[in-house]
Amino acid sequence: MLSILLISGCKKTDENAVFGGVSLDVKHELDGEKLNTDALIYTNLAGNRYMVTEIQWFISDIKLIKADGETVGIAKNEAENIFYIDSDIEETWTIASNNPIPSGNYSGIRFTFGIEKESNKSHRFVNPPESFMFWPDYLGGGYHYMKLNGKWINKSGANEPFNFHLGIGQEYFEGEKSGNDFFEFGDRSHYQHCEGYLPPQKLNAVTAFIHNNFSIELPLSFTVIPDENTNIDLVMAIEKWFYGYQTYDHDVWGGAIMQQQEAMDIACRNGVDVFSLRTEK
Amino acid sequence: MLFLASCDKDNPDDPDEPAYKPTLYEIEIPYAFPTKLNIPEDNPMTEEGVTLGRYLFYDGRLSGRTHPDSLMSCATCHIQENNFEPGIDHPDFEGGFVHGLNGQQTHHVVLPLVNLVWNHSGYGWNGGVYKNNDNSNFRNIEDIVRTSVMASDEMNADTNHVKALFQTLDGYPELFYKAFGNQQITFNNIEKAIAQFVRTFVSAEAKIDRYLRGEEQLSQSELNGFILFTTEEGADCFHCHGGFGNPLFTTHLFYNNGKDSIFDDIADRFAITGDIMHKGAYKAPTLRNISLSGPYMHDGRFETLDEVIDFYSHNLVITDQVDPLMHHLLRGGVQLTPNEKADLKAFIATLHDENFLNNPAYSKPEKFPDEP
Repeated sequence: MLSILLISGCKKTDENAVFGGVSLDVKHELDGEKLNTDALIYTNLAGNRYMVTEIQWFISDIKLIKADGETVGIAKNEAENIFYIDSDIEETWTIASNNPIPSGNYSGIRFTFGIEKESNKSHRFVNPPESFMFWPDYLGGGYHYMKLNGKWINKSGANEPFNFHLGIGQEYFEGEKSGNDFFEFGDRSHYQHCEGYLPPQKLNAVTAFIHNNFSIELPLSFTVIPDENTNIDLVMAIEKWFYGYQTYDHDVWGGAIMQQQEAMDIACRNGVDVFSLRTEK
Repeated sequence: MLFLASCDKDNPDDPDEPAYKPTLYEIEIPYAFPTKLNIPEDNPMTEEGVTLGRYLFYDGRLSGRTHPDSLMSCATCHIQENNFEPGIDHPDFEGGFVHGLNGQQTHHVVLPLVNLVWNHSGYGWNGGVYKNNDNSNFRNIEDIVRTSVMASDEMNADTNHVKALFQTLDGYPELFYKAFGNQQITFNNIEKAIAQFVRTFVSAEAKIDRYLRGEEQLSQSELNGFILFTTEEGADCFHCHGGFGNPLFTTHLFYNNGKDSIFDDIADRFAITGDIMHKGAYKAPTLRNISLSGPYMHDGRFETLDEVIDFYSHNLVITDQVDPLMHHLLRGGVQLTPNEKADLKAFIATLHDENFLNNPAYSKPEKFPDEP
């Protein structure tokens, strides 16, 4: 009896609907070509010669925008609409819909780079490789939005590692400390860093967290055909992380920016122009 | 369960003996641990398999020999109270460097047997034993059992002799029947039983676990150390060695951490991947019970944790192969002050798990099956 009711209920809802599928094929490109990892052949707008070893990142809340403005999630629910992409793991390069996508004309795709505040909670992912993306709780918790690791030739001519890691930013207590705070690590004035960035001489307590994730909407006309899969390239133009809103110079920000909100802010503002869509070549 | 039920059968050799009905062994997932386990489909864990594996793990006759001078078991080098490592003060293995029955030293130092059921990235310092290996002889813990028995720098044994010997030992054939439904001992089943036992080794009751579960506070020094551990401007350990979001305290992945300028080890990560950037790269081992894990690094070059912390603080060696995560490279390291080093060490001590080191389920059985 129950099954009969369920079947008749579905029939009524989906009476005229016909569905297809959509796959996003993630492409990591640099200067218009497929990324060549560990190759010191790239130069960014600031003049840094650099190479990229790996890119690991999250994309979430992917919605397909119909011609009439209505949106359809690529996954069945919000919890499943978070995807991990890893330049070293080929299985992560394709994001396939697991939700029936109504056939018809579409005008674009909307998504979040990283993970929205409400969903970016520690222990959301306990299994690797996603769990390896955890962002320390002291720095805000949740997960790295992205790890873009590589090296650049710094202004001294040395090959220096950079960890262009984006996630939750912090504001630190700037007043005088009373002397018995937890997170006082003594004098760090000896600590050498890149020109332009003065690390805190004392690692003061964090007073605020800033969620740097951002959402973008990309236009693309495509059609979902019943019982067929539509493939779309989602392109990350890596060089664009380093210009747009502001030119990003590794010689200024150094090799690590998880505790430099200003650097992450620049990166994320540049990031809105990093992605594009195209129908498959 | 269906698989196990389908294995039920009467003992063909003894109709009076109970039917083969192994009991599923379930690994309880500790707080925040991964739920995906690395258990091969052809070796499901059973209570009977684990029980048998415990005997075999500790039985020196795994060397295929019975003379007291030529006994060797897994436990000869993997000692529970030393984090299933030999220990730097081992009476026979000077400095913690182990050698086989013929005196030949192993190529690398011993890795701990801790939480291995959650390792999906490859076993060994170079990860040469991994799930999807084209060579089916090097895919999981079962294969490490076999290679350890056969290796000239370990037991230097003949697997046929080993299985034949155990076939003659009272009590063992019955245990094999209970575990695998056959009294006829195969080396394949020896591998499987020991692997099952090793997969039960779970460390998840250290002070850090109680802190992560909200049950116990850390001291101020330990907290300082934890912050150092998980910050890029601090000691920057977490990208490779985990933390709140990765309580295994390792990624089980492979990194060149800046130890050398010349890479002449034939068994580094490069030997597995063929990627020139992986020269000099090795597994980041778990830091659970790390104070017992000396000597440190793949070649045991550091005797103490203090030396390791000093190395990461001041003594990194610059080469093109150093992993980008070592972003303090050009400054020699993370430049910790003496107080910071003390705090970091205090935090690392919270990963010490006495429950693991004294868990009776992992200990040597009181007697072996053939002993009265």
